[in-house]
Amino acid sequence: MKTTNWYTIQGNENDVVVSTRVRLARNLQKYPFAPHMTEGQAAEICALAREVYPEADGWEYTDFGGLTTAERRSYAEKHLVSREFAESQYKGGLLSKNSVHIMVLEEDHLRLQSIYPGFALEEAYRDVSSADELLDSRAEIAYNEKFGYLTHCPTNLGTGMRASVMLFLPACSKAHLIRGFEEQLGKIGLTIRGMTGEGSRAEGRLFQISNQITLGVTEEETIHKLSGIVEQIVKQERELRGILCKGKRDENLVRNQVRRAYGTLMYATLLQTEEMVHLYEEIRLGASLGMIENLNPVRVDEMLFSCMPNTLAASEECKTPEERDEVRAKKAREILTRE
Amino acid sequence: MLCEKCGKKEATFYYKENVNGVEKSYTLCSDCAAEMQKNGVISGTSMGADPFGQLQKLFSEDKLFGSLFNTGLKQPEARETPKCPLCGSTFAVLAKNGKVGCPGCYEVFEAELIPSIRRIHGRSTHTGKTPARFREQNERKQKIAAMEKELKDSIASENYERAAELRDQLRNLRGNDAQ
Ligand SMILES: [Zn+2]
Ligand SMILES: [Zn+2]
Repeated sequence: MKTTNWYTIQGNENDVVVSTRVRLARNLQKYPFAPHMTEGQAAEICALAREVYPEADGWEYTDFGGLTTAERRSYAEKHLVSREFAESQYKGGLLSKNSVHIMVLEEDHLRLQSIYPGFALEEAYRDVSSADELLDSRAEIAYNEKFGYLTHCPTNLGTGMRASVMLFLPACSKAHLIRGFEEQLGKIGLTIRGMTGEGSRAEGRLFQISNQITLGVTEEETIHKLSGIVEQIVKQERELRGILCKGKRDENLVRNQVRRAYGTLMYATLLQTEEMVHLYEEIRLGASLGMIENLNPVRVDEMLFSCMPNTLAASEECKTPEERDEVRAKKAREILTRE
Repeated sequence: MLCEKCGKKEATFYYKENVNGVEKSYTLCSDCAAEMQKNGVISGTSMGADPFGQLQKLFSEDKLFGSLFNTGLKQPEARETPKCPLCGSTFAVLAKNGKVGCPGCYEVFEAELIPSIRRIHGRSTHTGKTPARFREQNERKQKIAAMEKELKDSIASENYERAAELRDQLRNLRGNDAQ
């Protein structure tokens, strides 16, 4: 991949905010959705997308039909495509330029997405919106005045926009605030879900907040609302981290846990994904609080995303799971100690 | 919409209950709905080997379950099921998949879809960005609405000169509309 990986770049408020994404679902007026589409129609949509976003203007096209399973899943692990797209039987592709990645033939004909490290809702919306303008100037986008942008699933009708912010909330999670957030956010059309800790939302420390409602609200209202909430939660998380480390004794407890996790990462020979994610959560807090010399949160995020199973399998020589665990341990250490 | 319990699978069931005035609702995939029902978290008769069939049955008995596309089986004016001319879908197919077949389906099945859309979003009319080809039309509509309001105000405040002016302008604008 030629484009720089977003998670290697320092973003705003990155002690708490890992990444920001804004996605627009767009469809072409005269074509049915994937399950009802002929191969000819699918090829036409691909051709049109590549015409609207040409290589000559810096767009890079990746044909997903020509990738291995691990390669496709690696894109999902990096949040550049949806999980469904990585597993899809339909032969679509991905158009990429700077922060923008466009899935061609997801469940909607096109899914335009902009992803940024840190807190960058305005920037992500700006970028994805200008990609949308390009499409609008060249193709007839499915739209009606009542339901707005027409999408395969009615849950996306209206703006077709899903804005989401990934947050690292160890202190809020420890203080059992997530359930309360869930309730409050639900009332205003937003939702929070855990990114780690299988199913049990309360356990993990990585969360994603996004808008649930897309019809009857403008893009600006949604971005504004989400921004306000994220700012409040960031403030809350920082306050609680302060409390978590108040006084020598409490600070030592946190520091002890963080540095033991770091020690494990420095010396492990075999490292499984689950353990890596757990250690990530420990040292990310330490890096945010300056408890480990020369380690900042970006580097820790780079470790997480580079060491996910499919990304490793797609980029490194490792065949068996054991080999992969060995490569993961080495890779994690390399990234964390790199100058 | 993803299942709110597992966050992985597409939600196909919506469950709402009211306990002592406190309303609780869940949007679930069929597996999680079956599991929650089995564990007694949500009410309903016990699940059989075919959880999906059971849930469907509950819904048809007008209990608390309904698929996202449930428009109520007791719809009195159930019309002749038309087919979407572009993709060939019937509403039964849409309801089964929880998704429409093509953009045109939204026009063909508007009446049937509105109740579910309102339940998902709480509203049923788009505000926000529009494609360029609708923008001009939209602006004219908004302009007419604003002028009509000003005209009313002008008459109310006995500013007949301005009112006459506005009336002429409105006639011109509407004239364009008719073309
Ligand atoms: Zn589920
Ligand atoms: Zn259709």
